[in-house]
Amino acid sequence: MKRLREHLPSLALLALVFVVAIIPLLFVVDAAFYRETRVGLAADRSSTAVVDVFFGAEYLGYLAKALALAGIVTFFSLVIGVGLALIMGRTNIGGKRAWDALITLPLYLSPFTGLMAWIALASPKTGFINTAIAAVFSNNSGAIVDIWTFSGVVFVMTLFFCPLVYLFTVGSLRGMNTSLEEAARIGGASPLITIWRITLPMCLPSIVASALLVFILGAEMYTIPGIIGSNAGFTTLPWRIFEDSTAVPVHRAHAAAAGTLLLLVTVVGVWLQGRATRVSARFVTLGGKGFNGRPLRLGRWKYAAIACLAAYVLAADILPFGALLMSSAMKYSAGSITAQVLTYKHYASFFTTENMHVALINTVILAVATGALCMGLGFLISHLALRKPTRLNKAVAFLAVLPVAVPGLVYGLGLVWTFLRTPLYGSIWVLLFAYVAKFLPYGVIICRTGLLQVHPELAESARMCGATAQRALVSITAPLVKATLAAVLFFVMLNAIKELSASVLLYSQDSEVLSVLTWHYMDSGDYQFAAAIGFVQTLIMLAVVFAAQSLFRVRLDRAFGQGGGR
Amino acid sequence: MRIARTLIAAAIGLVLAGQARADLSPQEAALYEAAKKEGSLTWYVSAPLEGMQSLSNEFQKKYPGIKIQMMRTVGVAQYQKFSDETSAKKYIADLMQNSDFPSMQALVDEGHVLEWKVPSSDNFPAEFRIGNFAYAHYTSTNAIVYNANKLTPDEVKLLEADWKNVLDPRFKGRFSVSPMKCGVCYAPIHMFMDPKFKDRYGAEFLKGIASQKPAVYSEVLVALDRVVAGEQDFTVSGWEASAAVKWIDGAPVRWVFPHPTPIFGNSYLAISKYAPHPNAAKFFLDWLTSVDGQQTMQRVYGAQGTLKGINDERPYTHESWYHSPVELYDVDWKRWDANFHKDMDLFAKTMKESQ
Repeated sequence: MKRLREHLPSLALLALVFVVAIIPLLFVVDAAFYRETRVGLAADRSSTAVVDVFFGAEYLGYLAKALALAGIVTFFSLVIGVGLALIMGRTNIGGKRAWDALITLPLYLSPFTGLMAWIALASPKTGFINTAIAAVFSNNSGAIVDIWTFSGVVFVMTLFFCPLVYLFTVGSLRGMNTSLEEAARIGGASPLITIWRITLPMCLPSIVASALLVFILGAEMYTIPGIIGSNAGFTTLPWRIFEDSTAVPVHRAHAAAAGTLLLLVTVVGVWLQGRATRVSARFVTLGGKGFNGRPLRLGRWKYAAIACLAAYVLAADILPFGALLMSSAMKYSAGSITAQVLTYKHYASFFTTENMHVALINTVILAVATGALCMGLGFLISHLALRKPTRLNKAVAFLAVLPVAVPGLVYGLGLVWTFLRTPLYGSIWVLLFAYVAKFLPYGVIICRTGLLQVHPELAESARMCGATAQRALVSITAPLVKATLAAVLFFVMLNAIKELSASVLLYSQDSEVLSVLTWHYMDSGDYQFAAAIGFVQTLIMLAVVFAAQSLFRVRLDRAFGQGGGR
Repeated sequence: MRIARTLIAAAIGLVLAGQARADLSPQEAALYEAAKKEGSLTWYVSAPLEGMQSLSNEFQKKYPGIKIQMMRTVGVAQYQKFSDETSAKKYIADLMQNSDFPSMQALVDEGHVLEWKVPSSDNFPAEFRIGNFAYAHYTSTNAIVYNANKLTPDEVKLLEADWKNVLDPRFKGRFSVSPMKCGVCYAPIHMFMDPKFKDRYGAEFLKGIASQKPAVYSEVLVALDRVVAGEQDFTVSGWEASAAVKWIDGAPVRWVFPHPTPIFGNSYLAISKYAPHPNAAKFFLDWLTSVDGQQTMQRVYGAQGTLKGINDERPYTHESWYHSPVELYDVDWKRWDANFHKDMDLFAKTMKESQ
């Protein structure tokens, strides 16, 4: 009985994770084993789809392309994201608060909206960049930049994923004990050698966690590779899944089998991350002893560092947000801005259309509720897995991360099948379940990274002084990872506001959200109105984060991968 | 002040409702009363949202008391959503609009659609309806959509004459195609692959298009957007209604109907057999298929209505550049259903090989 009571929290979490995250996945796997009809699945079983996907050259080729693309994007995101984090976290560069906010700004843009902005900016003949260069330099010799290429895909995806790497890494760098670095410098190591041999290995869990996340998100992304890929002559597995799920004749079993294939890739990725961070004590930077970090003096390299930051901010913020704002004020797409194309009608429609108000309220409710739930559950699951690493606790942590792998469209179908026969279907609460399932992996991964950097000795001291396990958790561990918890809250809120693939399958007339409305207008070819909704959506995200940060007095850009609430 | 405004709005509503009622037959007036008691209806929409929103706004203005809640879900995805919901006894949709004819046919065959003879039934052509179950309220007409600043009058004439003229060397690298799997994207491919056009078009013609090095866009509306912006001079994967919406906004787009021109009934409307608001759905469907509804649709959405004998109120038809299609090509639904996937895969593969 005592043993059961001891395991009760873990069993409750297991039950919750199983219902919210695993049952939809099981529906997806199950759907792979049906015969297909023109419009869906037949009643009888078949392994044709599984054989086609797992052993056929066509689907494996799409998978290889998706993984290759994800690998390249992860590499560039790591180089740029960690580079930016090093400048911001370990040097004495000025204006850090402003730079921090600017580096993380792309998080507030959905990939598809950002893609439309870059199409407006970098199309060969009519992109704002090319037309501006042609006008200034009277250059008619051809395009300087072209987004409709493989490099274009890599470029746009990298811009979107850099902030993730940055957020995961900069917190570790800021919070790390610098005594080893100082020892290396005293021992004669150059600054670069010190960074390579000491600094980067010390924040390895953060780098590995961000690399894994970027790789998985890159491998499952279908919008950017899909839209540009057709023009550049390549197709990835997620785009094929999108086509299999939506185009006639539907290949639902093939889409489900391909989703299962991506799921297996993620299982391997999560296992690798577990191995990479196995010796957690190696990465502890916040123990019982205090320390002071001393930043690296940039000296004459200051201007080079500023140039790097400015180049990133120009590409990731100023150009796409500027293009989005311009698009939202245009009647139709055009290479140059004239009075004839300008209009404010999209914004007027936004504030007068009734379903916009409903969508706005639903979006905010869902964002806050999802953020809070993923923060709480992610913390509990990670804490149990790290501090009481029983098989049960490790299994819960492992299972909770799995939904991150499956493309949203396929997972959305699993969610539909899970909730269709419940009273929740058609209400806003089914979306909440879907969002929690989809974003709980972030809660678990980010909390794990934060907890890895807090030595258990602090909570153990409290226990030795007579505190209960719950008291030590609430009074010692939770406050120490307050910044990480806030990071989960904000990060999940941002993603919940942008979430589309599950929402588009699960929403009903009373539970519409802004991302679905944006998609419907984009899907109808009304890109300018969609840009206006996207822009308002971004402003809401900024407002929500600003309000939440003011409330908790914690900054998102300082929170990831940091164990302390400084 | 607020109370005064509410009273004025209510008074206007009553006047409009009174006027609308006066136009109705006794049966329709009774249906309107029953619909008002239900108060609302849920419409699963497949056409672009903005146009359908304008259409439903016009209806709600004319017939106060019936709120239309739209949910956009397209083609086979709508079929799946409706089927899943029906099998779980979650009855949400009242009226469905589906652009995928085979999906609508399947719903009728499976007994999910209410038989309802609209008052304009006698003037509704047989090729645009499925018995008294589903009615296509407008047609989709394929066209070559071009940027008016990019083509010369001679080039426009050349394209209008025949689809084959896209193979003219002067158009190399200047146009786009979309191998997206959608009805309007497939209609021209369906015609090119028609056995009776084997020598005129066929797979060789597709190869010819590929040899012109077109830009290939996975989304057909992105292809249109790139023409609007001036990135591409024209697109072969165009259709009239999509271009008309941009033209109405003032974009520099026009279109020609090369001979022959594929045309087919699009966006089939049908009432769910399990509709929670059946009277509201019936009353709205009656209006959509009426002369008034069809003319309103032409005015606010720009597509050609299917009802016989209505005035053509599409604004662009009076422009000097506009020429109605001369030689129409009717799709063969049986071959469409059988060959859709195969033909579109061939088209996509052929275009990919050109890159």
